[in-house]
Amino acid sequence: MPHTSPARDDEAREVFLRLQGVIRSTLVSYYLLTPEEADGAEEDLLPWFLRLARRSGNSPMAPKALRVALLSAACQYGRSLQMWKLGGRRSTDPRLDDILSREPEELAVDLQMRLDEELP
Amino acid sequence: MNGGRVLRFPPRAMPPEEIENSADRILSMPREARVEGADAVRLEQPDLLLSVCARLHDRLDSEPAEVRDDAEHLYEFLRVPARPIGLFDEREYFLGELALIAGTACRHLSRRDEARLWFDRAEGPFLHTVSATADLSRLTYQRLALRAEERQVDAVLEMATPLRESFEKLSMPVDALKVGFLEGVALTEGGRLQEAAELYRRIGAQAESLGAERLAAAALGNLTHLYGMQGDAARAIEASRQAIPVLKRLDDRIALAKVQWGLAGMLRETGQVAAAIESYRAAQEQFEQIGMRADVAALHLVIADLLLELGEEAAARQSVLEALPVIQDLQMVPEGMAALQLLRQSLREERIDRPALRELHGFFPDSP
Repeated sequence: MPHTSPARDDEAREVFLRLQGVIRSTLVSYYLLTPEEADGAEEDLLPWFLRLARRSGNSPMAPKALRVALLSAACQYGRSLQMWKLGGRRSTDPRLDDILSREPEELAVDLQMRLDEELP
Repeated sequence: MNGGRVLRFPPRAMPPEEIENSADRILSMPREARVEGADAVRLEQPDLLLSVCARLHDRLDSEPAEVRDDAEHLYEFLRVPARPIGLFDEREYFLGELALIAGTACRHLSRRDEARLWFDRAEGPFLHTVSATADLSRLTYQRLALRAEERQVDAVLEMATPLRESFEKLSMPVDALKVGFLEGVALTEGGRLQEAAELYRRIGAQAESLGAERLAAAALGNLTHLYGMQGDAARAIEASRQAIPVLKRLDDRIALAKVQWGLAGMLRETGQVAAAIESYRAAQEQFEQIGMRADVAALHLVIADLLLELGEEAAARQSVLEALPVIQDLQMVPEGMAALQLLRQSLREERIDRPALRELHGFFPDSP
């Protein structure tokens, strides 16, 4: 009996593609990752996100919850990578320090709210 | 600020077919061999674990004892040593999910203290998943189901509404519907049979509209029992006729045994005592095969009562004697200790204290 659902994978991929621009700009503009690092982040995030959508098969997450989770994971990724690069030092960019001081989940909710306003 | 490096994981994803085959292979292996060959079967692959969890979920209603052992084994495999699993919250998710599965299986097997322990084990990891609200709501459902089985009617009716609303807010309509079953059990226990029947009919219709056929069939199964309790043979038989083929196809052996129990109740209510005994025994055999000892024991008491009605005192005694050790072992009815003692005493005197017998089996849920 198959347990991997192509339909759910397709839906999750669609959500990922719709948010890919926001994720990239968050990683590059907010967390100041390089484009190559952002590529790597997207590569890691996609399979994780497809698995997230398949969790607890009979109780799938709602699309909005999936979006928030993806944004949150992206912010977590960007933050932890940038902090690792800084090696515990403060950055010379106060905007980056400000972003790094915020919880990733908090920033993700802000991003989601902005998306909600923009989407029809 | 906490620093932390994001570790990269091997990028090669397993193709879906390989995942399915590996999950089947892992679960068919002896448990010890799974750990010994963990590297070969890539047991730490999150895709694979996801598929294994889905399989365990599917088998909960047909092989709870096996599922419990499998879930425990995999939980321990992930827990010690603390293996890195996937990305972000995946290790926490799998620990929580496997504990939840093990606890649910224990609940089916009436191993209630153990179920509570597993649910406690699930809570910690679930607090750290990105889907924490949904995961913890599913955990709350299992805890409430345990209360329903312990006949905590008021608590269930009080807590069901906020839980259902939580699932609705999370856009988890199937889980919201499942909460209705707990309310139905509580209403049945409280003697509010009409309300319970109305609720199950509504659940059945909504489940069908959502394509949740397992729930729709389970609602029909519970209606079989309710109509049976009301002595409405025609509707009980019709409900069972609709439920059984679906449950057989889904291999939902627990629900099938419960339908059989419901039909037996209907036969008893309509005065067909001998046929009722046969039907209860059929249900009992099905519970036995699944390893649901508590239900087997409860049915022994019901059967004993009916055997007394037929004047078969010796057979009734035998039936009670088979039930008592299980009741004691599983500590099934702490509130029915007095009745249990009376019954035991009467058996020593080679007779059955029927009021004590009835009081004791009154402590088991009427609703299967």
